[in-house]
Amino acid sequence: MRGVKAAYGSVVVLEDIDLTVSAGEVVALTGVNGVGKSTLLSCLAGFLSPAEGTVNVLGGPPRDNAAFWRAVAVVADQPTWYPGLTARELLELVRMTHRPLTGWCLPPDDLIEIFGLTARADASPLSLSSGQRQRLSLAAALARPSRLLLLDEPEQSLDADFRQELAVLLGEEYVSNGGTVVMATHDHEFAVAAGARIMLLSDGRAVEPDDFEADDDEYAEYDEGRDATLSTEYDDARGEDPDDDLAGSPEAPDPARQDR
Amino acid sequence: MTAGTAARARDHTLGEGVTSVSALRSFIGKRRRRSWIDLYSLGFGLVVAGIYLADILASPLHRLSSQAARAAATHAAALQAVTGAGLVIGAGAGLLLLAQALGPLVLSPADSSWLLLTPLSRRGILRRPALGAAVAATLAGALLGVLALAMAGPYLRPAGGSLPASWLALSAVAGAGCSLAAVAAEALAQPTERARSWVRVCCGFLAVIALAGALAAQEWTAITRAVTAVFAGLSTTDFTTAAIAAAAVACLAWLLLWRAMASFPAAALRAGSARSGRALLAAGVLNFSLLFWIAEDNHWRGRLLRSRPWPELSPAMTLAWADWRRIRRRPGPLAVITVASVFPALLGAAFTGRAHGILIAAGLVAGAMAAGLQGTTGARRDMDSAVLRRLLGVEPARVLAARTVLPALLCTAWLAIALTVLSAVGALGGWQWPLLCLAGPGVAAGVLRLARTAPVDPSDRGPDLPMGNTPPWMISRIISVAVAAIGSYPLLAAVAHGHAGAGRVVAQPLVSAVVLGVYLMIAGGTGR
Repeated sequence: MRGVKAAYGSVVVLEDIDLTVSAGEVVALTGVNGVGKSTLLSCLAGFLSPAEGTVNVLGGPPRDNAAFWRAVAVVADQPTWYPGLTARELLELVRMTHRPLTGWCLPPDDLIEIFGLTARADASPLSLSSGQRQRLSLAAALARPSRLLLLDEPEQSLDADFRQELAVLLGEEYVSNGGTVVMATHDHEFAVAAGARIMLLSDGRAVEPDDFEADDDEYAEYDEGRDATLSTEYDDARGEDPDDDLAGSPEAPDPARQDR
Repeated sequence: MTAGTAARARDHTLGEGVTSVSALRSFIGKRRRRSWIDLYSLGFGLVVAGIYLADILASPLHRLSSQAARAAATHAAALQAVTGAGLVIGAGAGLLLLAQALGPLVLSPADSSWLLLTPLSRRGILRRPALGAAVAATLAGALLGVLALAMAGPYLRPAGGSLPASWLALSAVAGAGCSLAAVAAEALAQPTERARSWVRVCCGFLAVIALAGALAAQEWTAITRAVTAVFAGLSTTDFTTAAIAAAAVACLAWLLLWRAMASFPAAALRAGSARSGRALLAAGVLNFSLLFWIAEDNHWRGRLLRSRPWPELSPAMTLAWADWRRIRRRPGPLAVITVASVFPALLGAAFTGRAHGILIAAGLVAGAMAAGLQGTTGARRDMDSAVLRRLLGVEPARVLAARTVLPALLCTAWLAIALTVLSAVGALGGWQWPLLCLAGPGVAAGVLRLARTAPVDPSDRGPDLPMGNTPPWMISRIISVAVAAIGSYPLLAAVAHGHAGAGRVVAQPLVSAVVLGVYLMIAGGTGR
């Protein structure tokens, strides 16, 4: 993504954004509400064409074809559920839509167990709690192979313990099997636990460490966790070895913040 | 969990090929548990709608009979033919605008969530919605084609004297072809906002021209003479040519759409599905708040506003002033509704018999309610919110009373214009009709009640009525419409009977005042 400017009508949401994500990396987009995190994800998914700049995903602009959607999984907002289909049947449906399944993914029974839905596997998603529905949405994204996972606030409605489990699942399991994650999140601990490189957005721009003035607790938290990982321009040379990239990221949450 | 997950994680290279969309739909369909009550409710609804539609269509279709031809020489019959033709064209343009607002190529929200962003064939996914759009376009177009023929009915001069069945069939084919071609063009324009705007402009222009022509015909007989002369000159060749041309254009447009469906953009489909899903849900459950929210969201997204200071008014009036400010900021919808005040007059000119008065009355109430609803944003937004009430620190009854002023004025003004037009074109005879605009406050009571109706709670089960289970939120909305009808009863009775006596003129402001007063007394606290 180079020099991207995105707008809804006359309202400019993103301005001059540069972002390079290497294979096997987890990138967390953070910032206050309305700063453009979801818009940036929309640009990556090809839902929104930037007014200026270029977006390249997996070697080319977002293409909206079978090959692209085989490689890219999106969990953007609460989906609408088929009435009558159970949680297990929905996961089976997702696998059917992506056949042949060539690549890493998890079978429905395992996903149901990992995502804590065993007791509700045969229930309609409509009867699940909002947190359970969010778990099912995320499970569906891992029920099929993908190379890039775009997540919009995956932590919403999830309890604290499961957030940590999800972070490990994404940061270790998914990434170690060749996946790349770009997510928008408000949960700094979750991002850090997933080993994410944090990209802080402010007023639609990526904020460089020196430009950013931390003037309240929330910003100070972002500032704390940023250290060496906050970079709006990723070094391509580092991207050649995903393990090296992950090594440069904080792999565990800051103990001081766990006490909070 | 990590170790376990690692053990379970596996590299899948399943042998199965790509799943077809039809197989997936079969998978989904077999698991959907439909209750017979759903089918019963649907069937009952269709039967009731069919009965009402047949009743309304009986009058225009009667114009195809030989008796109607005998009345063709009168100016009223000619006027009716021209107005009816204008309404048919206007209705067609309106349906196209509605189709565009809904899609027209639209996936169900669930399909949009689970089938769209997948490697599945895009054309395969869109085949079913495209078929649905085609069927709807064919039926609507054929009906409009027959109605257009019915409008021309008394002036047609078939060779044998009686109207040949082939003319009826060819009209239906021509109408269906035009409708199919237009819907396909709308679908092709769907991915581009600029193209969508052009389609809207074209449909709006067509509707305005048709309705303006119909309205102008009320005054200038040259228009009616010219149009009826065209009707009289129509022959089998003309009908055949029109049908073949429309069918050919429709085939070409759908061929282009079929090709475009293979790479139809997901973003446009997602946006259309989200919009139509919310709109259909809101319309299905009469959730006007949600419909307004959708319209407001579509309008204000991407626009910047300039903040303005609050006026020096009493606290209650200050809150109510927000609605005045909103109308000033966005006068477009109100302008459209004002222009729509000619519709009752057009309906009155186009329909005769029993439907004449009923349609005018229904048009008056619906139009006045639509105008009044433009001034109820505040009441709809903070209705009965205890938190807001504490925050604002204003007596709810006073706020509600202050918020009644704008909808009452809007309803009254709209009725005044509509009744004046009806009187001017002669659909209602007599000078006293505009005085009945004082039904406005009575209608405003129903409008406010509708706006303040609680959001829909799908889990709320109500009594089992003959048409199936009827939840309280639906009953509440029907009651709101009934309140508006009661508040304007003298007007509606006068229109239905075609006679506005002095008694009704005097009774109307009294009825309005009583209905509005009782409503404010009941709802002033926390009631609906």
